[in-house]
Order: sequence, then C-alpha cells, then structure tokens
Amino acid sequence: MSDKRRTLAEAVASIPDGSTLALGGNTLHRAPAAAVHELIRQHKRGLHLVKTAGAYDVDLLCGLGCATAVSAGFVGYETVFGLAPLYRRAVEGGTVEAREHACYTIIAGLRAASQGVPFMPLNGLQGSDLVELRGFKSVRDPYAGEDVLVVPAIVPDVALIHVQAADASGDCRILGSQFEDVLMARAARRVIVTAERVVTRDELAADPAHTAIPGFLVDTVVEAPRGAWPTSCAGLYDYDEAFIGELLAHAGDPAGLRAFVEARLLAEATPA
Amino acid sequence: MAVALARLLRDDETVFFGVASPLPMVAALLAKRLHAPSLTILTIPGGVDPRPASLPLSTVDPLLLSGAVARITLADVFDLSARGRLDTAFLGGVQIDGQGRINLSAIGDPRHPKVRLPGGAGSAALMPTARRTVLWRTRHDTRTFVAELPFVTAAGNVDRVVTPLCVFQRIDGLLTVESVHPFSTADAVRAATGFPLTDAAAWPSTPPPTPDELAALREIDPAGRVAAEFAGR
Repeated sequence: MSDKRRTLAEAVASIPDGSTLALGGNTLHRAPAAAVHELIRQHKRGLHLVKTAGAYDVDLLCGLGCATAVSAGFVGYETVFGLAPLYRRAVEGGTVEAREHACYTIIAGLRAASQGVPFMPLNGLQGSDLVELRGFKSVRDPYAGEDVLVVPAIVPDVALIHVQAADASGDCRILGSQFEDVLMARAARRVIVTAERVVTRDELAADPAHTAIPGFLVDTVVEAPRGAWPTSCAGLYDYDEAFIGELLAHAGDPAGLRAFVEARLLAEATPA
Repeated sequence: MAVALARLLRDDETVFFGVASPLPMVAALLAKRLHAPSLTILTIPGGVDPRPASLPLSTVDPLLLSGAVARITLADVFDLSARGRLDTAFLGGVQIDGQGRINLSAIGDPRHPKVRLPGGAGSAALMPTARRTVLWRTRHDTRTFVAELPFVTAAGNVDRVVTPLCVFQRIDGLLTVESVHPFSTADAVRAATGFPLTDAAAWPSTPPPTPDELAALREIDPAGRVAAEFAGR
C-alpha cells in the first residue's frame, strides 16, 4: 500500500483557492479544525464550504476571509453560544453568500455525487421558499407520472475529515457518530484525512467494523493529534467551551479577532 | 414546557429532535420515563434510544450515543421521514406564523438579509414528511408569532406549538389556542401573538405538571439543561 502521509502544511497547500470543501463532523463535534487553522495560516481565499450543520469551522473561515460561499442547512453554535457571529456578519456584509439548504438537500446532493448521477430525487421541502431560493427543479417521474423534486449533485473538490485513527494508506477509524463523513468521502474528488493517531493496518484490521472509510477512497493522511480541537472528538476530548468563548468575545472586533487567532491558533502547534 | 412537550408523545412511536434542541431532548426522555416506555428516540449523532448519564447542551453531542441500543445516521432519519414512517419531529422556529409555518433563515430579504439566522437545518425536509411536527419556542411575543413571515423556511404537518405561555393546536390549517399555561393568561397570550386568534372564552388551562412529572424531570435533568434555552436566543 502506498504511504499517503504528508505534513498538514503540504496537504493544505494542495488545495487551490476557490475550491469547494466538504467539512466533516457536525456543529461542535469532530470538525477538521487543524486543517481549518492551516487554511487560515496559508491565506486561502474564495472557498465554498459544504456541510449539513457547521459551527466553529464555518464561522472561523468566514470571519477570517477564507470563505466566500457556504452551502449548509444550519450554521450556529447551538444552545451553547447561539448564532455564529462571524458567519452572520460576513453574510450581512455581503462578503459571504449563504446558500441555505435543508440538511437533507446537502445529503441528497452528496448522494448524487457519490453515485455518479447528476441529481437526486427527494421527498421533502413542500411549501418551503428554499425551493425557489436555491432554484431546485422538479421533473416528471417517467414511471408514475408525478412531479418529484430533484437536487443537483454537490461534488466537493476536497473533503476534509478528522478521525480518531488512520493508517498510512488512509484507512480510517471513526468512533462515535460518523455524521456525513462517510458520504463526503465518496462524493468528493479528493479526500484529505487528519487523524489523532496514525496506526498500523493490523490495528485497524482487528476491528474492521469501525473502519468507516477504507483507504482506497483517501488521497492524503495527516497525523494531527487534537486535530478537532476546540471541537469535540468522541472518546478523546469534549469541545473547549472556554476557548470558543474567548474567541467569540472578539467577534465584534475584526482586528482583535485576527490578533487572537494569530496568537492562539496560528503561531504555535495545537495545544496538547 | 418540557412536560407539555412530553405529554404530546405517544408510546410505540418514533420521535426525532435535531440541533440546538435541549427542551425536546428532555421531553423525549421524560415521555419515555413516564407514559411512553416504548417510544423510540432518534438523534443527530445517530443514537437510537440513548441513555446518557448526563445531558449535553449541544444536542449533537457524542453523549447522545451513550447507552444507545443501535447507531444510525442523520440521513437514515430523513429517509425514514421521507417514506412516511417518522411519527413526530420536534422543530423550532425563530418566527412562526398563524399557519404554523416557520422562518429560520433571515430577517429581511433572504438574499441580502438584515439579520442572517442559522438556517432551517432539517426542518424543510421533515416538516412536510413527518406524520406530525411539534414546534417549540422559548419566546412568545409579537416579533416571534407573526402574521407574515419574510421567508418560509419550512411548512407542513404541524400539529402543536408549545410556548412559554400556551399550547397551540393547528386546526383546519390555523393555529388555535388549545390551552393557556396556569401561570399565564388569555390576555397575555393575545397581546403576545401577532396573528388573529379565536374567542378566548373557550381556552382552557393547561393542566399543571403533576408531582410525578416534576420528580421525573428533576431526575432526568438535574443540572437544568432546559433552562439554557430560555437565556437569550
């Protein structure tokens, strides 16, 4: 098996400006945060983010000028911190386009991509203004003759996924919820995985049921201990409420936010 | 409110709650403890019937896998609803109109919003396809319960809406006051609601929580996670 390990800087350098990025995890949990920090460190621009429900990752990439569009069903810190203030200001200020979806239309678009078809029929969204806003079309079911809503394929250029363990050829163990990560790994053109630990193939083979993403779907593996911090990583650490609170205290002050991010996220390695 | 939500759940049914939903989480666990032991609880992390030792504030938390009997995916929940087999979806709305439609998208023009809201998450898919939707909102005022929505994020099979002041039932497509909570009044409900309501004379009082319900609530949520929902938002 080929060794797909790269440094975080090398892996992220391979992502061109303007890429469509699928981000693994969900809200405050198992976001690919180390990769997000590296995107900021490398001053990426024009990114289009795809996720069912984002929080820290989407908020930060919008607040620091890396993202210009977000396709998501929900962006917010849930009840913990409420609305995502950086995303909100970027959208209200016109620097980021909020392409609101239902979580299910993100899933349907990724499913279409994963199956190599141009669109996916879907039951839902009756009565919702999202249909017109997103420009979703209906087609006539050629068998039953009824109209059915179809959602275009969403083909991410890169899926960024953080996992508990991976081997050098990209086989990934995910503990706890898989969220949409398994689907993203099949929908994206390229898959970059950051892993808490890089382990041997034998260690994964001892428990194949937890190998959620097989290595033949993965292009690049990065060892990134605490790579989901400050979001949670099931079985290892909880989300860092104090840190996120400190970060969001700078939400109203772009210069202060940048200084905080430079000092606490970019200058050093992820705190142990 | 947690008790009022719990009472709406029935035994042998399936119920789902999504992101940012501490009240429905507590209500589902409460119903299962009290009158609906065979209720099947579904969550975003995918835990089927979780039995968390403590309750998270984030309802996507890995804690909602602990003690679960099985693990599914969020896509499985949407598929279940799409084929007509999800009994109850708990959904919220920043704004709710007289037909029980919700806005979670934006205040003002959605393309150039004055206030960008978090987005409807699963609601646009679940509301028309779940057998019934129960809405909840921890704020009841005329900015929340409005005559007209700037944007309809989701519409569909709304059955009840539970607020801090009352329970609405949707009858013939319109929200109607079913009961007024004991610590509220018909006048307060009317003053806080932006869409027209029927004659207040017919509004009964919501039965107060029983000692059993309160005891179970304290056992399930000793840290008072539900209270977080009433702070700000």
